[in-house]
Amino acid sequence: MSIVEETDVRGYLCGRFAEQLAALGIAPGEEPDDLDLIAEGVTDSFGLLELIGDLEARFGIELDFEDLDPEDLTRLGPFSRYVASRARG
Amino acid sequence: MTTAISTTSTGVHAGFLRSVERFPDRPALWVEGATLTYAELYDRAAAIAATLQRHDAQQAPLTAVFGYRSATAFAGVLGALLSGTGYVPLKRTFPAARNAQILGRSGARAVIVDEESLLQLDEVLAGAAGPVVVLAPDVDAAQLAGRWPGHVVLGREDVLGADALEPSAPSPDEVAYVLFTSGSTGTPKGVTVSHANAQAFVEAASERYGLTEHDRLSQMFDMTFDLSVFDMFVGWSAGASLHCAPPRALLKPDAYIREQELTVFFCVPSTGAIMRKLGLLKPGAFPDVRYTLFCGEPLPQQVATAFRAAFPNAILENVYGPTEVTVVCAAYRWDDERSPGECLHGVVPIGDFFGTTSGYLADDQLRPVAPGADGELLLAGPQVSLGYWRDPERTAPVFVVPPGESATHYRTGDLVRPGGPGEPMRFISRIDNQVKIQGNRVELGEIEEVLRRETGVDAVVVLGWPRTDSGFGGVEAFVGSESVDADAARAALAGQLPGYMVPRRIHRLASLPLNDNGKYDRRALRERLEAGL
Repeated sequence: MSIVEETDVRGYLCGRFAEQLAALGIAPGEEPDDLDLIAEGVTDSFGLLELIGDLEARFGIELDFEDLDPEDLTRLGPFSRYVASRARG
Repeated sequence: MTTAISTTSTGVHAGFLRSVERFPDRPALWVEGATLTYAELYDRAAAIAATLQRHDAQQAPLTAVFGYRSATAFAGVLGALLSGTGYVPLKRTFPAARNAQILGRSGARAVIVDEESLLQLDEVLAGAAGPVVVLAPDVDAAQLAGRWPGHVVLGREDVLGADALEPSAPSPDEVAYVLFTSGSTGTPKGVTVSHANAQAFVEAASERYGLTEHDRLSQMFDMTFDLSVFDMFVGWSAGASLHCAPPRALLKPDAYIREQELTVFFCVPSTGAIMRKLGLLKPGAFPDVRYTLFCGEPLPQQVATAFRAAFPNAILENVYGPTEVTVVCAAYRWDDERSPGECLHGVVPIGDFFGTTSGYLADDQLRPVAPGADGELLLAGPQVSLGYWRDPERTAPVFVVPPGESATHYRTGDLVRPGGPGEPMRFISRIDNQVKIQGNRVELGEIEEVLRRETGVDAVVVLGWPRTDSGFGGVEAFVGSESVDADAARAALAGQLPGYMVPRRIHRLASLPLNDNGKYDRRALRERLEAGL
């Protein structure tokens, strides 16, 4: 199990959705912290579940989202911080 | 509340109207963060209905409701019914072309539209068969001026008072709603449900669950999915309140269940599997819920047992029914001792006939199968719907009068194992999921169960592949997890199943695609195979 930092998760998300973010006119590195991945059409609910599965596989972690506000489940910054905090246990 | 209430003893909404009289000040609906009492919801609906009547929209049998999780969507459904028509729901997350096609096929003379759905209305109205009344009660009329010439466009100021409503009592054979389901080919089919069908269902469900005005029901299902008929009309008949899940809660409903203090939580098994994946089903997590209900697709035993632990005080039921037989026609109540032994292929039984529905298991000639044998479930009784909207060609093959019978039966296309004395019926597969592999009759559900057990993943679909003249050459599997060891899983299956039942390939996807109703989209997966993916 590796230590996962917020920047790792965030970087992974921004890379994964680079095309969609570019289509929204968001330059790499300038993604707003509260960017809502679903409301902005970056992905949809099932894309988000795919993402969770992939994060688990990539970082070798098992995620539990019980303590996350549903609003934050889809926001770039809060989501990344949550995943990193869970990965540290 | 001074409005005189227009009551009727017939109609799917009769119970709602009784509750308006009995509980005018109790909550009927929580939606978009606000609560409407029964009196307030009635007033909104009656005002919509009166406005439709003023423009003679009730001369067509159906009114379209184009709204999504908004007060106007619910008031629109009730408004259509109070005006004297049935309702046909559209949904803005459908492609606009599909909504346009449904609007045209329905022949509706009016569209009730909420504010957010207005954005798609240009394209949807292109499908209208003629001039329609567009009623947008959320929006100032001035904002709509000049839009959609050729149609009658009404905004907020055009809505009449509730007291202008002219009461109408639908006859039992009139249409209550039409729901368009994805046909396996081409155009969608409109399942046509009468008021008598819907009332038979509402009465049976009311008796079974005994809900009261103190119950608080989840509302997870879109109106285009017939389980929403349970939420609205069974809930409102009891005087209960309905809590429309915000879109975010559809993904992660734990806080919504707690904050809304739900007593009844009803979802598709896929939602249950998602909740399990997100780690939301901790033992004892939801002690205040008294019913957890599942419908819409086979319920995996693993999901049921996780729910029993997380909802320790809730009765868990798996209910079953095609839209064509009005929401629910069989139900199974989980028992911690007995039920694990009654599951088949890791899937919870569908139980016994519900309400006044009856039926039998048939062979492909529609004759009863021998006692104890598996067969296609055929259903009869007052919930058997009128067929497909203006589509006798597609109605005739599945709404049939079998030899020696006098009543119309609906062919479910579901292969079912009979319950012996004291035993429940078990769903095996869709008839077309029972396939011939190298000449052997194979139930794909059986392979799916072994694969679920070996991988610990709920999201599993097995398909026959590749196609041959006599069926299929083998099977391939999809699992909704990228961390599964596919080789190890194949090896484990090879130790338990005949070679022709072992998937040649196990495709790992982070999650499996779902169709409009939240079920695993087997067709999309088949298309992946056809595309060589």
